[in-house]
Amino acid sequence: MGLERWFKHEGVKYLSVHDLLKEYLEQGRIKVDKSKHPELTTYHDPCNYARKSEKTFGHGYYEEPRWIVQQCCENFVDMTPNRANNYCCGAGGGAWASPYNEERIFYGRVKAKQIKDTGAKLVVAPCHNCRDQLMKSLKKEYDLDVEIKYLWELVADSLIIEPKE
Amino acid sequence: MEPLLLTQRERRKLASQYAERCLTCGTCAGGCPVSGVEGLDIRKVVRLAVLGLDQEVVDSKFPWVCTMCGRCEYACPMGIDLLTLIRSARWLRPRDKVPGTLHKGVEMCLKTGNNLGIPKEDYLFLLEDVGEELAEELPGFKVPVDEKGARILVTINSKEPFGEPEDMTFWWKIFYAAGESWTVASENWEGVNWGLFTGDDEAMKEIVGRIVRNYKELECEYLLLPE
Repeated sequence: MGLERWFKHEGVKYLSVHDLLKEYLEQGRIKVDKSKHPELTTYHDPCNYARKSEKTFGHGYYEEPRWIVQQCCENFVDMTPNRANNYCCGAGGGAWASPYNEERIFYGRVKAKQIKDTGAKLVVAPCHNCRDQLMKSLKKEYDLDVEIKYLWELVADSLIIEPKE
Repeated sequence: MEPLLLTQRERRKLASQYAERCLTCGTCAGGCPVSGVEGLDIRKVVRLAVLGLDQEVVDSKFPWVCTMCGRCEYACPMGIDLLTLIRSARWLRPRDKVPGTLHKGVEMCLKTGNNLGIPKEDYLFLLEDVGEELAEELPGFKVPVDEKGARILVTINSKEPFGEPEDMTFWWKIFYAAGESWTVASENWEGVNWGLFTGDDEAMKEIVGRIVRNYKELECEYLLLPE
């Protein structure tokens, strides 16, 4: 965001994690095995990649991550609502580093219910902050019987790696 | 209590450019998980701002409980810049009253190049150490530091070298499998910019500027934004 605002003239070319992972998969630069993740899996839209990216950059990353997840998982289900109308994990905007824990957990009740309602056993998040809130806080506060992974963790765990000499 | 004459409102700092357009419909607050916390919600924040009661908003913890997720702004039928409003309220707090570790992180980043103040030697040692461990699984793997001409410059979230170093290997494995040409910088490698959260444009700009300098000096083609 700061890049666009102050350094546009510098001509920095940037890639989001979605752009790069999609490029690798589409071009066959990496191979993944989806049978490693047979469990029902859902995807959390972080505010920054979803509606805020749409607003700031004119493109929300909605479909790319869903496509990437489905290359690595056999069974996918969306939360409701999702994409631009998805609910925040509750720890965004610096709330994870703020002292208002009670409010942060209260905020997360909506996200926790969304996850529970999908029945998924694996939740994928492409944001450090969301992942921490889901894995280290909401999971225990709301007894969520799920595993949480970063998007790139999911991809790394699905890799078929041929060792290079 | 004296009535507040709208014609005599003090110059308002907080009211965003479009706040006067508000129809008070409540669509914003209706879809917000923290409406009511601290007796406030985003619709009331707009009313306070329009009335020039800036200080009530600035002193409240509501702007910090709000995660600036943007759901309200996305739904607002009048296109009011609600996120700018909240972020300005955060900026109007004196820096020593910014809650938690956010501003301390910004200061630390300006001073040391990362939010948690990890010294350069420790960071470089860790990259080598975790890299060597991964090389047992992936022969020939090494973390490329300051590699000129690499295709992609990668920043790092300081919480990983600080507390979860193994998590760095997810990306490393992917780069290895893809045969990617990538590098990390030995200084100013922080990928998280807390100036965004504390409303601090100056700090935010400085931190982004350092990444741009790394990108230029290392002659990379792309910058990978970690989140």
